[in-house]
Amino acid sequence: MGLLSLVMITAVLGVLLQTTVLHLLPLASIMPDFVVILCVYLALHEHSVAGTLGAFLLGYFTDSFSGNVLGLHAFAMSLVFLLVYLLARQLWMDNVVANVAVVFVASLLKALAVAFLVAVCLSADYPWNHLFSTVWIEAAIAALFSPVVFSLLDAGRRMWGLD
Amino acid sequence: MLEFLRRNQVLLGSGVFLSLSLALLVVNRGGTRRFDPLGAVFLELLRPLQSVTAQATREVSSVWTRYVGLLNAEAENRRLRDRLRALEAEHHRDAENRRLSHLLDFKSHLPSQVVTARVIGRDASEIFQTLILDRGERDGVKPAMAVVCAEGVIGRIAQSSPHASRVLLLSDHNSGVDALVQRTRARGIVEGALSGSCSMKYIKRGDEVQAGDVVVTSGLDGIFPKGILIGRVSSVSRKDVGLYQVADVVPAVDFAKLEEVLVLASAPEQVNEAIEAAARAKATPEPTATPVAALTPTPLPRKPAATPRRGESRREAVPVTPSGPARP
Repeated sequence: MGLLSLVMITAVLGVLLQTTVLHLLPLASIMPDFVVILCVYLALHEHSVAGTLGAFLLGYFTDSFSGNVLGLHAFAMSLVFLLVYLLARQLWMDNVVANVAVVFVASLLKALAVAFLVAVCLSADYPWNHLFSTVWIEAAIAALFSPVVFSLLDAGRRMWGLD
Repeated sequence: MLEFLRRNQVLLGSGVFLSLSLALLVVNRGGTRRFDPLGAVFLELLRPLQSVTAQATREVSSVWTRYVGLLNAEAENRRLRDRLRALEAEHHRDAENRRLSHLLDFKSHLPSQVVTARVIGRDASEIFQTLILDRGERDGVKPAMAVVCAEGVIGRIAQSSPHASRVLLLSDHNSGVDALVQRTRARGIVEGALSGSCSMKYIKRGDEVQAGDVVVTSGLDGIFPKGILIGRVSSVSRKDVGLYQVADVVPAVDFAKLEEVLVLASAPEQVNEAIEAAARAKATPEPTATPVAALTPTPLPRKPAATPRRGESRREAVPVTPSGPARP
């Protein structure tokens, strides 16, 4: 539960950045998705019901500050958590390259899950071209940021005595 | 049994939360009001942080803009740089004054139940279009209230907490505003799209609409008062078959640059009455009155009032233009 609290506090900071500062950057339409990085971190380190709850809350929290439809990101984050957890059970994930690769794939997966749900449940005219042109860049940016975020979380865990 | 649950807790937990997410999605799909038990708590929790961050960001951005501006003047002598700095500061003050007085001028034409709010945050993702305001239920802001600015329609309140609220922008694909083409009174619904653009749908095939036409609110959706500027038609598409035509609309408001907005806390009917009263007062101008028309783009000629549609008021509304109600 300690790790869950740490991740939630980081999520607040991440969403705070995403809703304020990052919109001012030149490529504001392509923002690093801190929440998906946190979700991957949770899936790699918290193999319990608390982890699944954390992933759901991360998505719910994003939904609260995004659009008018609740459940989209909550579903996507729960799915990302589950798949990364299953992957982490099969593969050795304790190095930077593997983490970056997993965040990249997880970011793609999350974008596709959200797009699929929007297209199926909400609107048939989803701009798939726009999605496919930006999703790679978004995933790459998230992957690039992931070592920094992971290091900060590791430091936080050590500081709080969660290791 | 307990051992099985413990061993598969992640799979079972994920299953539960995936189902819960889908249930939330199904409950909230298509509705304008959403079932969100924790949303108001999150909104309230983040409001002070967002206020501080937004303020700090504005300050840093302002300093950065000035720094970049001054870099180009580096080669000039000290006197010119001082002069430039003084002029920039003056210009900045003037621009800010103009913007705020523009907003105040517009506000003065609206009834007293108008809440001025500052934008403190934007949507966490790029698929949807929302804003976060620093005013909430304690200030009289409630869901489904109209949000406007001097340039026109912004959106409506989607969610509110005691000290903050979220605005669903006109360009969000969940938005829908009942609208009229000002020139021909053709009616339709202006909707946002996932690409961030807007289109006016359900315009009768026989109605006349063309690029450049001004689109205003019809007042029939029970949220927006009649005659508030929405935008201009950029193109019209009509399929070979079908009852309706669709017009692409460019919103009058640049949503990316919004800093302050007005939330209309009164019922649309009250706002309409106040706007008409203001228009009547303007019809007999005093010699010292502010020349509103000087700031107002000339309204396009309008067709004589036709037989009113069902549910539409026989009374002719006064369209609100950037600086207030236009002269009849």
